[in-house]
Amino acid sequence: MMSLADMQKTFMGNVLDEAAAMPEGWGNRHAAGLQVYRGNYRTALVEALRDTFLKTEEWAGEGPFKQAAINHVIAHSSSSWTIDDVGAGFDETCRAFFSASPEVAELAWLEWTMLRAFSSPDTDPLTLDQFGLITSEYGDAQWLGMKIELVPDLAGGLVRHDLHAMWRAMDDDNAPRPAAIKGEERGVLVWREEERPTFELVSCEEVAVVDAVREGQSYGDICAGLAGAGASPEQAQDAAMRAGGILGRWVQNGFVTALRTTQA
Amino acid sequence: MTRRIKPFAGFGLGLRRTHFEDFLSGNVPVDFVEVISENYMVEGGRMLRVLDEVREKYPVIIHGVSMSIGSAGGLDAEYLTKLKQLERRVDPLWVSDHLCWTRTSAHNSHDLLPLPLTNEALDIVCANIDRAQDALGRPMLFENPSSYVTFPQDELSEWAFLSEMTRRTGCYLLLDVNNIFVSARNHGFSEHEYLSGLPLDRVRQIHLAGHTIGETADDIIIDTHDHDVSDEVWALYAKACGMLQEAGVPVATMIERDGNIPPLPELLSELDRARDIAAEAMEPA
Repeated sequence: MMSLADMQKTFMGNVLDEAAAMPEGWGNRHAAGLQVYRGNYRTALVEALRDTFLKTEEWAGEGPFKQAAINHVIAHSSSSWTIDDVGAGFDETCRAFFSASPEVAELAWLEWTMLRAFSSPDTDPLTLDQFGLITSEYGDAQWLGMKIELVPDLAGGLVRHDLHAMWRAMDDDNAPRPAAIKGEERGVLVWREEERPTFELVSCEEVAVVDAVREGQSYGDICAGLAGAGASPEQAQDAAMRAGGILGRWVQNGFVTALRTTQA
Repeated sequence: MTRRIKPFAGFGLGLRRTHFEDFLSGNVPVDFVEVISENYMVEGGRMLRVLDEVREKYPVIIHGVSMSIGSAGGLDAEYLTKLKQLERRVDPLWVSDHLCWTRTSAHNSHDLLPLPLTNEALDIVCANIDRAQDALGRPMLFENPSSYVTFPQDELSEWAFLSEMTRRTGCYLLLDVNNIFVSARNHGFSEHEYLSGLPLDRVRQIHLAGHTIGETADDIIIDTHDHDVSDEVWALYAKACGMLQEAGVPVATMIERDGNIPPLPELLSELDRARDIAAEAMEPA
């Protein structure tokens, strides 16, 4: 008799692929039953993608989206216990499937990142007053050695389309759909405001600073990175001002949870 | 660790997003709420906030779909850890899942796949239940599945499998009446024989739900949870209530609805029908 492990491997193979060989001794009745499980699998995953990528579907159109979703499900069989994870990599599927409409992949990336933010850990970010109190005693060495800790849901990416205008137009039934014009590369930050994921278009530089903070770079290193190698004192001063502006906005938006000081 | 789950008699509904605001108001006339575990096995955000607030107003049951108690490769340790975290947070009436498998080491079907009813499968299921109950520090309930295939190598009836499973592990049963109906029609066994063969003293909860006729094979009935409870299932529920009453076992009953979810008053009206049927079963003959 086939072991349970082997039977499950064979059965799963049949659920994932209708061309797979059926278990030994199975007839038409079993084939009909397997077809139900195969249909359930595909429907559940495609519906999970529709739930996650509402705006992507609206922009791409129901039919094309469904085809992309089916392609994704076939190419990326699920291994996670949570069905939400089926959306991982869907932006790459969209990049290939909607190659003539690259804004679709950008929308998919945005919605996936927003889903992750939706259920990320609750945190207690520093208020402006707390930030002011902590840094009021800092000398130059402490500022330069300061490391910033960010809320876990904050994520950054680079896009070439005005996702903000596209999103707004889809939220407003009466607004005309903006043309998806490919423009200069810009940054986008995604985070959770209270319980609602949100995003904002920012400079590419700001996204680079998020990456640098996540890598554990000190504030001094970040300022030096913004100034660039061989920067003049004026350029260094300008970079420090830009870094200060970014940090100020982050504190105001509730992105910073802690500051760690190690002297530079 | 207590190995006993006290009976809880009452009528409840599944918590679905469409009805969050109703349940947050605390004015829904139910005795308990059941939540799908996996929807709340997250790190933060709105879902957990809603769950915490609903828990302040109602007893909660956590009901999973992804434990995969029948997996030959054993249970997922990360899954168990997250379920335990949820169990600690909620302090539920009980924790339940299904007699099925959902994954191999490489793939997850996100569906409740059928087990061959063999002695080997029984050994594996019991070992997995022991591990899950040890990890949770409490006995669990397992639900009889609906199924669309049976296996040529089956050695036990489903009711004999469930009976032996409860005897060996001390787990309890979540009796899904619609699933009995669906599987009985799909595989041609007697619903009465099924109910009579179960250790009814181990039943703590009943699920009621709607089903539909499959599109791919005319004669296969599918457990879709997207219709009202059918008259045949109400009749079977009445029979089950009578048998449980005779066995002296109070149970919790709920309506499961996962698709075409109607406004809450419609579900409450279905739940009233369950109350009426259960009350009738309590009356002396």
